[in-house]
Amino acid sequence: MKQAQAPLGAEIEGPGRRYFDDVVIDNLLEAMLELTAAVWTHRDRAMVLEQVLSRLLAESHGAPDIARLLEQHRPTAEEQEARRLERDALVSQVFRSFARRPAADSAPLGAGRRYQEPRPRAEQAS
Amino acid sequence: MRRDWDGLLPRTARLADESYLDFVTSFRARAVQQMYPMLEELGNAVVGREHPAGTAPGIAEIQRSLDALPLVRVWQRFMRSHQEMMWRRTRASIAAEADQWLAAMRDAEARGPGRLLYDPAFVVPDYARVEVHLQPGGYTDDPLGGPVFHYGTHVFYQGENAQDEQHVEMARKAAAPRDGAVRRVLDLACSIGQATVALKQRFPAAETWGIDVALPLLRYAHLRAAERGVDVNFQQALAEQMPFPDRHFDLVLSYILFHEIPWRITERVVPEVARVMRPGGTFCIYEFPNASGSLSPVAQFLIDYDSHDNCEPYSREFVRADFHGLLRDSGFDVAPGPKVANGFLQSIVATRR
Repeated sequence: MKQAQAPLGAEIEGPGRRYFDDVVIDNLLEAMLELTAAVWTHRDRAMVLEQVLSRLLAESHGAPDIARLLEQHRPTAEEQEARRLERDALVSQVFRSFARRPAADSAPLGAGRRYQEPRPRAEQAS
Repeated sequence: MRRDWDGLLPRTARLADESYLDFVTSFRARAVQQMYPMLEELGNAVVGREHPAGTAPGIAEIQRSLDALPLVRVWQRFMRSHQEMMWRRTRASIAAEADQWLAAMRDAEARGPGRLLYDPAFVVPDYARVEVHLQPGGYTDDPLGGPVFHYGTHVFYQGENAQDEQHVEMARKAAAPRDGAVRRVLDLACSIGQATVALKQRFPAAETWGIDVALPLLRYAHLRAAERGVDVNFQQALAEQMPFPDRHFDLVLSYILFHEIPWRITERVVPEVARVMRPGGTFCIYEFPNASGSLSPVAQFLIDYDSHDNCEPYSREFVRADFHGLLRDSGFDVAPGPKVANGFLQSIVATRR
């Protein structure tokens, strides 16, 4: 197979597109999406975890209060470090857009903006 | 350890991937089913106010008018971002099990049923080597492109094609020749073989082929068919230069092929399909609309956005082209095809004269 002309994933790993004059708005909206995805991912896991635990512990401990057990949990140092790494990865994931498009000219304008004519200076000032 | 399959759909490598991509699916559903209709209503009204009835604004004028609506830019941002999120996470999830996927595809190739044919010297034309829909490596350049495409399009279909429902519907409704004789069937640009298998199930006695330019997709197509014990053959080949004799096929199906290739290639593909079809054979086409004059301003904007920002580089020229005329000039009688669940697509039955 021939090598790709561009690196694998050039479309999604490059600067992408911007749609707003102020690229910060692009980055904020993208961060909001990533944040919501992360919130759902963790909420979904917690729901699955509680279901699995309840099913397992029902056999040996009757009907355990999973919420109380979670509150009483004391993490080890190793566990805390592992959780810190996960937390840092979450921060990177949510806020990656700001590093990806740090400046107004760091991504090409999207399709809906290609044909906008420059406004006269007087109009810009108003 | 593979998390197995949900019927015909592979499960993601990790629960976290599934949860993340479920969110992207839900978000896409909202953007497509709630935001877009709002944009369509407001956008068509704005363009209608600025351009009196009877005039037909071009895409540049439409875009200038739509620029006044903040919703347009937000929608564009969300469409682009969620598509990138989908491919990034799908690729990472499949890549986490790369060795297992590649081994499974090799095993299927060795054992069958059905054959997978390709020439190691085959050269993929440059026009096909683009990251269509932003998929990393496109269809042709990522060895994991098959399963990546499958899970990515699962998100695209918003879960409505998890068990190949849309492909099964198209194969089930495909018009058979009037004389009823179906000995050989071709799924043209078959991708991961969803319709190929459905066609074989509808015409079990027919010799069934799927061809595509993309070997990564074909390897996965063959794996999926072999896992189900379906005897279909796949071959890496160009639609404009097929390795089949004249008058070979009774029925040919194509699903959303022509808007993904340059029009100059389409002008070669259609006569080539005519060559390999016998008189009376049916060419069943499910495709983008190609009558830009009849599309609303926002629909034109959508196709233009999709072309430019979702890496569909050839769709704009297809939408404006005289596809029906090309079919007629190439030896087909053209008639409307069956309606399918995806109402955006045009459905055509082209019968070989």
